[in-house]
Amino acid sequence: MDSPHFQVTRTSQGETVYSFSRPLDFQHAQDTWEGILKSLRSTPPRKLILDFQHISPIDSSGFALIRILKRYCERHGIPLEHRAIPAGAEYFVQFLQGSSAVPSEATESSLAKRLSSLGESVRAGVREWSDLIRFIGEFFISVGGALRHFRRFRWREVLYTTQLSGADAMPIVFLLSFLLGLVMAFQGAVQLRQFGANIFVADLLSLAMTRELGPVFTAVILAGRSGSAFAAEIGTMKVNEEVDALVVMGFEITQLLVLPRVVALALCGPLLTMLANGSSILGGIVVGVVSLDLTPASFIQEVYSILTLTDVMGGLAKSLVFSVLVALIGCFRGLQAEKGADSVGRQTTSAVVSGIFLIILADAVFTILYHIFDI
Amino acid sequence: MALVEEESRSAAVRVEDLTLGYGDRVVLEAVDLTIWRGEIVTILGGSGCGKSTLLKAMIGLLPPLKGSIALGGRIITGSGNEDNLALARKKIGVLFQSGALMGSLTLAENVALPIQELTTLSAELVDDLVRLKLEMVGLTGFDTLLPAELSGGMRKRAALARAMALDPEILFCDEPSAGLDPVTSAELDQLLLELKRALGITMVLVTHELPSIEAISDRCVMLDGKVRGIIAVGTPAELREGSTDPRVQAFFHRRSRPRT
Repeated sequence: MDSPHFQVTRTSQGETVYSFSRPLDFQHAQDTWEGILKSLRSTPPRKLILDFQHISPIDSSGFALIRILKRYCERHGIPLEHRAIPAGAEYFVQFLQGSSAVPSEATESSLAKRLSSLGESVRAGVREWSDLIRFIGEFFISVGGALRHFRRFRWREVLYTTQLSGADAMPIVFLLSFLLGLVMAFQGAVQLRQFGANIFVADLLSLAMTRELGPVFTAVILAGRSGSAFAAEIGTMKVNEEVDALVVMGFEITQLLVLPRVVALALCGPLLTMLANGSSILGGIVVGVVSLDLTPASFIQEVYSILTLTDVMGGLAKSLVFSVLVALIGCFRGLQAEKGADSVGRQTTSAVVSGIFLIILADAVFTILYHIFDI
Repeated sequence: MALVEEESRSAAVRVEDLTLGYGDRVVLEAVDLTIWRGEIVTILGGSGCGKSTLLKAMIGLLPPLKGSIALGGRIITGSGNEDNLALARKKIGVLFQSGALMGSLTLAENVALPIQELTTLSAELVDDLVRLKLEMVGLTGFDTLLPAELSGGMRKRAALARAMALDPEILFCDEPSAGLDPVTSAELDQLLLELKRALGITMVLVTHELPSIEAISDRCVMLDGKVRGIIAVGTPAELREGSTDPRVQAFFHRRSRPRT
């Protein structure tokens, strides 16, 4: 079988000679290789001779072709020779000798490989969990330290983070929960209007928001805005050796970097949740006035009569826990970053994902607890 | 004889039977090394030979797999020695490869950081101390700039000012001249030499810049990645002229390494 790239001659001794007729360069190497493979498979030769007499340029891709051909021949037990390697290509010839030393894949059986990769991932998981446990332990130690040296606690850092994570988040929290209130009230109104139970939109909205949606919604915003920021900030510090420098200067990393952020979010979370609760009720009022013939006063009166302090406080307690979790996981992920920008990116993503996961998980736990204790 | 030597000069850093590594990968094995007070020792070797790893262990950032490290006569490795490590850290300064200045703080705040943390000086004193340190490294008037607004050489000098903030007894430098042009790098070497002469600081430098090594080191310690340990110790001249080890010769005469 001939190909435009080379001619095949077979001698009586069963030798097969490929005389290349096109340059073995980046442009032609792929087609040539496919042609060779086809020819080798259709008529496996007993001995293979490569003749380079008629082509002049061979570049690195050509030599890569010769190397993989050599490996192919070794695997199939076909002796290989080459003739007339053109001048100017001697440089590459030295690399031909080493070509068989390329690590042969699949020395391990695929089962062993899978087992070892399973073991690797289990080990990585165990390491991560033990890191997390150590981190939480260090956090509590630093809380103790901060309580003992209350004066030396970094309030400035706390205020700074509070501004970034709390005050600056107010517009977005207000807008999103206002819209959420609007949508919920509208959806509720469509159903409740059928029974003439317009006023119960206020009950629905205020209970759902203060007990459940306000805290969760705010915490998700915090995870997206602040948890990710913490991870990226601390991760970048880690990459720039700043964390190492702080350790060497004798700083307690948890006390310097983690604690102020956790305290700041613990402040911001409940406050933002209150804002979210308020603005969603505002959204409900707008729907009530526009499409349910309610007055703002009657709406607020209804909210006031249905909501108990326990509802509100229960929601705020949840929000406190969510915020602490978001801050902790953000800082933890940041400290887990290793050298390199992609590591910071991965840890930031992971901070948001595991942050949201923890929020929902904690919410489930809270629901069970509140149910048991009848709150 | 050994005793006399012990008395006349005491060890700033003593590394004994030290094995270092990450996870399962051992980088250095059974290393013994003593660095005396007041000398400048450069740790050198090709890329990946473990010189930065050794430095990391000496400043207590990497717990060893085996062996011990003592700074100023106190063992800082192993459990139960955390107090020693905390104490030793007040007496060492570290110049990191990238400078590792806090990006969110100005130069003055960066230099003030360790002073505020580890001393009880009043703001007024700290302020002046910071200015003095910045003056020592030739950065007068730059105190309100952020690290990002400086050139590489200036950042290194600022980091040096921070490392020197508390008058450390031992200064560790990780590739001080990496990424600097020859002139700036020579100036930095000059600065280190001046500081050593004036204050008698012990310095441990990790580097592979030949001109730097020749200019400032009292003693060189050469590591090799294959041996996973020290292959030569001596003054730069001794190693350059006297060593018969082909690896040392290759390094000091900038030849490619002997093929094995």
